[in-house]
Amino acid sequence: MGPTAERTGVTSVHADIDALKGLHEALVRYRHAQREVTGRGDEEIKVVRASLEAKAGRWRARLEQCQAEFGACQERAARAAAEGPAAADGPVDCSGYARAAEQCAERLEQIRRWQQRIDAEASEFGGTASRFGDLLQNDLPRTEEHLLAIIRSLEAARRVQAPGS
Amino acid sequence: MVTRPDRDGDQQLRLLDDAWDKASQHWQDGMARRFDTGHVTPLLRESRGYLEALRKLMDTLEAAERDTEG
Repeated sequence: MGPTAERTGVTSVHADIDALKGLHEALVRYRHAQREVTGRGDEEIKVVRASLEAKAGRWRARLEQCQAEFGACQERAARAAAEGPAAADGPVDCSGYARAAEQCAERLEQIRRWQQRIDAEASEFGGTASRFGDLLQNDLPRTEEHLLAIIRSLEAARRVQAPGS
Repeated sequence: MVTRPDRDGDQQLRLLDDAWDKASQHWQDGMARRFDTGHVTPLLRESRGYLEALRKLMDTLEAAERDTEG
């Protein structure tokens, strides 16, 4: 083998091992990066669940207030009706309070529907996330180890071959 | 600006895909094929499945926040 061919051969030997080392580094980086991604995904679910729960709490309080105001109005209306045309305030219209209470109930119901949908979708996602987490935790390190073993065996074989080649 | 985790995950997947393409240009023997079918292909498939599920869930979370604002 002439010097040019020899140099080409050496370059090629290094190129494949270097490429495998590059792949190994990429796998390690991938494992760390995707573990961070899974953590952020889980965190995002918690944040939105907490946010919806806080909104539901606020709308429950507003609903109670709206219902109390509507109830008070109905009492005033009943008193006015009992007093007849002589009532000081005249007929009492509670429709505005009724609409407000209805709107509060609708908003609360809307939030509850989202909570139920997120619970269902998060539960379904949990299976996929668990499999992927297991892959990152167990399978990928084994893959990295396997690749390292291949790299070591290639390096060892080349060292053995090098003096006679 | 904080990006969505599914988008960062997609970016990481592209980087790994590129690294595998680069490695496979120099490594094309039977061992490489076994490594591909036994390790790389399942890893990429599981990753794509997870990231697709994460994307759907993130879309739902964003829609929930938007729809319940105010």
